[in-house]
Amino acid sequence: MQSHHGAPYSPCLTFYIMYKGKNMKNTILFFILLAVSCIHAAPIRILTTTTDLKSITQMLTGDLAEVTSLTTGKEDPHDLTSRPSFVVKARQADMWIRIGLELEIGWESAVLRDSRNRRIQVGAPGHLDVSQGIEPLDVPTSNTGREAGDVHPHGNPHYWLDPLNGRIIAHNIATRLMTLFPEHKETFATNLILFEKKLDERMFGKNLVAKVESGEKLWLMTIRGELDKYLQNNNLKADDDCWLGRLAPFRNAPVATYNRSWLYFLHRFNFQLAGELEPKPGIPPSAKHLLSLVDTFKQKGVRVILQEPFYSLKAAQLLSSRMGVKIVVCPNCVNGGDDCEDYFKMMDNLVVKLGDALAK
Amino acid sequence: MNKALVLCLLGTSMFCCVFAQGTPNTAKEIDELKAQMQEMRKLYDARIAQMQAEIDELKGKKTMTAETAIMAPVADNQTSSNVPPVPAVVEKSDLYTQLKGKVEQWAAPVSKNANLDISAIIDMNYHHDNAHEELSHIREEISGFGHHHEEGEEGHHHHHHGDKNGFNLHHIELGLSAEVDPYFRAWTTLAFEDEESVEIEEAVIQTTNLPYGLTLSGGKIMSGIGRINRQHSHNWDFADIPLVYDAFFGDHGLREKGVQLTWLAPTPFYLLFGTELGNGDNEKFSNHVDGDVLPDHDDPRLFTSFIKIAPDLGDKHAMQFGLNFVTAHHQIAEEHDEHEHYFDGRNYLYGIDWVYKYSANGSHGMGDITLQGEYFYRDSRMKLLNNGHHYENKQDGYYLQALYDIAPRWRIGARWEQLGLVNECEDPHEGSWSAPSSYRVAGVADWKLSEYSMLRFQVARHSYSTEEEREKAWEFTFQLQISLGSHPAHDF
Repeated sequence: MQSHHGAPYSPCLTFYIMYKGKNMKNTILFFILLAVSCIHAAPIRILTTTTDLKSITQMLTGDLAEVTSLTTGKEDPHDLTSRPSFVVKARQADMWIRIGLELEIGWESAVLRDSRNRRIQVGAPGHLDVSQGIEPLDVPTSNTGREAGDVHPHGNPHYWLDPLNGRIIAHNIATRLMTLFPEHKETFATNLILFEKKLDERMFGKNLVAKVESGEKLWLMTIRGELDKYLQNNNLKADDDCWLGRLAPFRNAPVATYNRSWLYFLHRFNFQLAGELEPKPGIPPSAKHLLSLVDTFKQKGVRVILQEPFYSLKAAQLLSSRMGVKIVVCPNCVNGGDDCEDYFKMMDNLVVKLGDALAK
Repeated sequence: MNKALVLCLLGTSMFCCVFAQGTPNTAKEIDELKAQMQEMRKLYDARIAQMQAEIDELKGKKTMTAETAIMAPVADNQTSSNVPPVPAVVEKSDLYTQLKGKVEQWAAPVSKNANLDISAIIDMNYHHDNAHEELSHIREEISGFGHHHEEGEEGHHHHHHGDKNGFNLHHIELGLSAEVDPYFRAWTTLAFEDEESVEIEEAVIQTTNLPYGLTLSGGKIMSGIGRINRQHSHNWDFADIPLVYDAFFGDHGLREKGVQLTWLAPTPFYLLFGTELGNGDNEKFSNHVDGDVLPDHDDPRLFTSFIKIAPDLGDKHAMQFGLNFVTAHHQIAEEHDEHEHYFDGRNYLYGIDWVYKYSANGSHGMGDITLQGEYFYRDSRMKLLNNGHHYENKQDGYYLQALYDIAPRWRIGARWEQLGLVNECEDPHEGSWSAPSSYRVAGVADWKLSEYSMLRFQVARHSYSTEEEREKAWEFTFQLQISLGSHPAHDF
């Protein structure tokens, strides 16, 4: 593994010497330092498959790495084709980070193969699948074939929309970064703590995290299903402006979605999954199918349809005209639209948009 | 000197600190910052220990258990204040250890058949045309192409795969691919055509471990020249191969037993160089005939080289140019008036290819545009060995095509092709002469019901200039193509 010494101070040093360098000796020193700083300034090059991974990785590496995402956040990550520019980026990368669970199955192998970069091939230390440790949902229980549509055999890959999984992703990335670049161990660990702190505070609220003195404990109780009881017993509650607090009033509200891509999010915030507009994953809905949904949705009391900006609005509009359901078009990837420049803003935007639609 | 350096370093570090932190106004703020830093320090020391333990555990040398590592900060926190007591289990464990218990596999799931990908393509069609004989036969008669004009109507030795009116089992393909070991990957594609013949389309062993961006392949290779040549027929945007490929290489393009070396240059844009050495077994470009009169050119008889360049045009646009060169020994034996005629010589081919893709980020590709074109120029220099006469042909051909994703999963397109724009022939009987060009125009509409199935309708108008007259025909193809097995990766 080649070593990197991302040295953000080196250029400053160089400039300072340049300013001071009025005699010959210093001029020579300047050039030596310039040369050294050029070598040292080479950042770690990380390539992520999605913008969400890019955003989280950037928060962990700071200036130490140059992080690039192959997708822009505006496209359907299933429907991508390899491109020469992807290959060029992959050829130079020190590390490749993917969502996994077959999200990138349609193009990843072609990019990796054509890149000829041994450091990032599947199985190499520079290849990281962040789905490690994620509890996958929608894992087919029977031996489902493709007659069921675009089903992912290892589970639904849109897991980054659950903040707990965001936390696991960050943990996975930081752990791997520490193995690959031990010289920056402390930076990665510090940034991971900052990330976790910020995420826990956005999820449960600053006050609650401060009272319990650990976001981790709150998460532990969440996954054990003990959080509600704990909060009740101790007369505590999540802040109103945090994700959990903002969506708490709508617990068990039925929400319909275009694709099952919102599963993890709805699951984490205790919504009821009323159903999808797509008859089967990846199969666009027909008018007949949509009309058959009207009764089901009415019965369940669906008030909101949630969908990504890259899917056609026609289906949702048809249902809206039949039963007055609200349509929430919201990006579920970083940079997928306005107000979602990083992972936290993307989640903020989603929580606020859905919360507003349900509150009306 | 030393003193100066120390001063410089001191100055710089102070400058950097101020630069990085901003200017704290009051002593209070500084104290707060210090306290925060200290707390952070404590937290991340514990964190490092914990993560190191995890890393060690992964590496298999358990120096410190995750539990002991995580206990440190918890105990530390415990000393302070009025934290509402959490359940004992929660107090004692760490989130990631708990998650590990919850998720059976703390590792990325592995595909069941990770070692061998098997796929099959079934491509069938209903075909109808109003030509007076099979279109592939007519194409053999295009003036200047295929046969030397004086040999004319004789000698249909070639095996044609032209579709007949009615239902056709056009192409059944079976593909196997795998990473062999840390050094090689390999794949093979078997094609069954017309229910009678099996052909090895491809059987390639490729290195995965060469340094400097090099890749070496060997076996039966679909040549990297041009754009369509390297694509399997199920990836074509139309139901058939372009006219210019058919005329110069036959309806399978250029596939050769041989070796290929490619180099991906370390440039900020995509730049690929490739060169191939092949046996020279292509009937139309580098045939080898066993005949007493003919010289024995030792294999390999075919050489190619190509360059692909693709500038980075951002997220919505992508473009690639290619330059191509092929040369090979070529021999023909033809029977005419009960005499064998033996030709020997060399073919040279120069080509350019170009593709542009626009991604609209629509649902299932809606709004995407693909424009593509290829041009080839062939210089054929043959000698009739029976009498030493020279036959020289200079010919070219090109196609241009455009495709537009008109709705989710629906696409329409058009292709214009011309063959023999330059069609200059020289032979001892008639001297120099020039033949008119042939053309074909096609319109296509396809519907990808899913990733694995496609329906396509194609209509084409043919106009071929042959010895006798201009042959014109309409052709309709209704194609159904499905793929089974492993999910395909989409190449550019």
